[in-house]
Amino acid sequence: MKAYLSDRMGAALLMAPLLLFLGAAYAWPFLGVVNWSFTLPEPGLGQYGALATDPLVQSVFIRTLRIAAIVTLLSVTAAYAITVVWVRGTPMQRVVAEFCILVPFWISVLTRAFGWVALLSNRGLINTWLQAIGFISEPLTLVRNEFGVIVGMTHFLIPFAVFPLASSMRSLDDRVLLAARGLGSSRMRTFWSVFVPMTRSGIIGSALIVFVFSLGFFVTPAILGGGRSVMIAELIYLRIFQSPDWGLGAAISVVLVLFVGALMALLFRYVRPKQMI
Amino acid sequence: MQQPGRAAEIKAIGIGKSFGSFRALDDLTLDIGRGEFLTLLGPSGSGKTTFLMILAGFVQPTDGRLYSDGVDITERPAEQRAAGMVFQGYALFPHMSVEANIAFPLKVRKKSSAEIKRRVGEMIERVGLKGHEKKLPSQLSGGQQQRVALARALVFEPGVLLLDEPFSALDKGLRGQMQAEMKRLHQETGTTFVFVTHDQSEALALSSRVAIFNHGKLLQVGKPDEVYDRPANRFVAEFLGEINMLPLKGVRNADNGAIGLCEDRTVSLRGNAGAVGSNAILAIRPEYMSIAAEAAAGENGIAATATASTYLGAATRLDLTTRQGAKVTVSVPNEVAASALSKGNSVWLTWPAEKGFLLPDGGQ
Amino acid sequence: MPTYRPGPVSLILAALVALFLLLPLLAVIPVSLTPSRMLAMPSGELSLRHYRALIEDPRWINSILLSIRIGVVSSAFSTVLALCFSLGVWMFQPRFTAVLVGFVLLPMVVPPVVSAITLYFLLTSISGVSSFFGYDTWLGVAMAHAVMTVPFATVLILVSLSQLDRRIDLAARGLGATVWERATRIIMPNIKFGIVTAALLSFVLSWEEIGVTLFITSVNAITLPRLMWMGLRDNIDPAIAALSVILIIITVLVLAVRSLVGRLRGAH
Repeated sequence: MKAYLSDRMGAALLMAPLLLFLGAAYAWPFLGVVNWSFTLPEPGLGQYGALATDPLVQSVFIRTLRIAAIVTLLSVTAAYAITVVWVRGTPMQRVVAEFCILVPFWISVLTRAFGWVALLSNRGLINTWLQAIGFISEPLTLVRNEFGVIVGMTHFLIPFAVFPLASSMRSLDDRVLLAARGLGSSRMRTFWSVFVPMTRSGIIGSALIVFVFSLGFFVTPAILGGGRSVMIAELIYLRIFQSPDWGLGAAISVVLVLFVGALMALLFRYVRPKQMI
Repeated sequence: MQQPGRAAEIKAIGIGKSFGSFRALDDLTLDIGRGEFLTLLGPSGSGKTTFLMILAGFVQPTDGRLYSDGVDITERPAEQRAAGMVFQGYALFPHMSVEANIAFPLKVRKKSSAEIKRRVGEMIERVGLKGHEKKLPSQLSGGQQQRVALARALVFEPGVLLLDEPFSALDKGLRGQMQAEMKRLHQETGTTFVFVTHDQSEALALSSRVAIFNHGKLLQVGKPDEVYDRPANRFVAEFLGEINMLPLKGVRNADNGAIGLCEDRTVSLRGNAGAVGSNAILAIRPEYMSIAAEAAAGENGIAATATASTYLGAATRLDLTTRQGAKVTVSVPNEVAASALSKGNSVWLTWPAEKGFLLPDGGQ
Repeated sequence: MPTYRPGPVSLILAALVALFLLLPLLAVIPVSLTPSRMLAMPSGELSLRHYRALIEDPRWINSILLSIRIGVVSSAFSTVLALCFSLGVWMFQPRFTAVLVGFVLLPMVVPPVVSAITLYFLLTSISGVSSFFGYDTWLGVAMAHAVMTVPFATVLILVSLSQLDRRIDLAARGLGATVWERATRIIMPNIKFGIVTAALLSFVLSWEEIGVTLFITSVNAITLPRLMWMGLRDNIDPAIAALSVILIIITVLVLAVRSLVGRLRGAH
């Protein structure tokens, strides 16, 4: 007689390993972090009180929101421009667009940040050329400030913004666009009054993804901001490793998770998950 | 369904299945005889497929018990029942060759490779797939895929073979061919076949018995001619084919059956008046009615006027209206139709007494 | 095939974006050829000294080998766990599936920095018990990477399962196959592309991982991105440019081969 498992047993045996692993290696330590935020350095809500009053923390939060908003606007706009060609261009245009989207996407965040350092730093490509042609005498400060951070983050996030846009543009019915042109609408007008509104769900999905990503961004701001343009994630890192205040770092993390969770809830409310992929 | 090579006898008692508040199957009691070819017939959503899935073990009934050769198998999961099953769309394993597909049930039964080779070879021969052994399902035609599915379901000699609308994807010509083939396989293997379809002509052509379902209820079980000629109710009568229905008054029992008044004329028929009451419906299949200039005394007949005709090639379909406004359809030889129409006035519709039957008036 | 094509304005804007996307990748090429010891544009003379440094300096080799080891172990671990979990979801459709899948996807959705502090807590707690499996050990990093990559592997495998005809599994059941036989003989051969993709993606994500790695390593477990980070933060080392050029070339080659293979398959 063969050994047959019941459905319930089979499901339990197959699903348990991953659930136990993530329970032990993710859920449990996360609760530990939450616990830190209430107990370090002393038990109580002290760290959350500090969050609400500390001007440094507040300025970092505001800077993070500002940078995230700017980066979202820039990367969704840029992504829209290239996605139109990727989805609707001639076969040749599509290959080129796909290459320009996927190559940066698969290259590590460090390499890409480094590329911007090589371009923007005082002895980088841009300053060297501008000085060589005599356009400037002193190098421009393009990096280790908010400008560098915004440029680097926008570059990193454009490919992520492309995917939801592409799926909404692919599902768009050609006949509607042709009909609009056929009815005498100009190219521009068709684009703004038919094409863009019909890809609304893709735009919302893409903007929310980019915004949520930028809130927890760490590597790019740390490299291109050079410590002068600190964002939330870097602040957490600094509170854990440089001026140790684990409780504050943990409290900021908890607030960040709650904030992102609320945004995700919004996302799922207005855009069905299916439309995002 | 456990002893290989021996047809199973199945007994379903009071089987019911609810999905939430939806009652998919209600209080079904049915005996499936050893080696019989039973067709489950009904429109979609009638519960026939649900019952097949319960027989296979993929769906657990909410009520009732299921026995196979006297053993209660209600809770036994599908993999341990091992009924052969042919799915709608065949569900062949796309990554396996024809040979490997057919060998699969033997492999999981840990048969020796020599035995597997022999039995798979026999089966391939039997369903006429020689020369296609190494092909993948995607390289086969619809009819060939169908044969692989049949071979795979029969190779381990299951006690019962379950077939879920196996011909729905085939075109008409191929369908007839495959039906003949299946009848042959049934005779050769002697296995119990349970076949689901919504096509009444397929059901009548293939089965030893037909079970008709509607709204989760089993309405009637019987041999094809029984259910066709003596349907238990109006739904069965209409589902199995076109039927003419005439109101009948003053129905009462008489010698050899019943008599009643059909538009002022007394007609006789088989059946029991007690079961339907004094007002009933007289139902006659169109092909049993003929057209005559006059109905003799004592002959069943009714006067009607031809209103339209449809040329069907071998015959003509004629639409008529009786004096009291009942609509009747008959199928008659082409020249009869032409003359009936040309007269433009009253003709007589006649039928043999044994071809008319009683249905209760109104509703079911 | 869309009949509505982008107009000239669209094309110009897209070209500007494309330029923006490629510019920093192209910029590292001249930097990698500078003879200078510091980050600078080469003026006249070109040199391969930074490429040589990658081979000659044992730090680079060691960190590359460590990254490969961590990537292989974490990718194997996360692919196996994701595969089992996805098979359970697909074959048995248990209740609360949506909640369980949501839980598994958390490390993908939660901001990486929060995952990083969480895994920092985990590994420092383990360090108290074991010295070779905790903070700043390669096994600890591999486990942390598995946590971070397992949601991606799960999504990929679930997606390829969702394209599979459920009836072939029913058929196998009906023919008498056990759960193990159904999984290994029927389901897995039909989603092997998804499984391989999941393993590759897990490896690539681990290979590139820096956000979490920064929190859980200090001096011993120096992965390649960690080493690059150190070179970027302190004194910018042009060897990073050389390494970046190599990584970019590999990426371009892999993408080109993949698109060629895809095109050949599509042609059949």
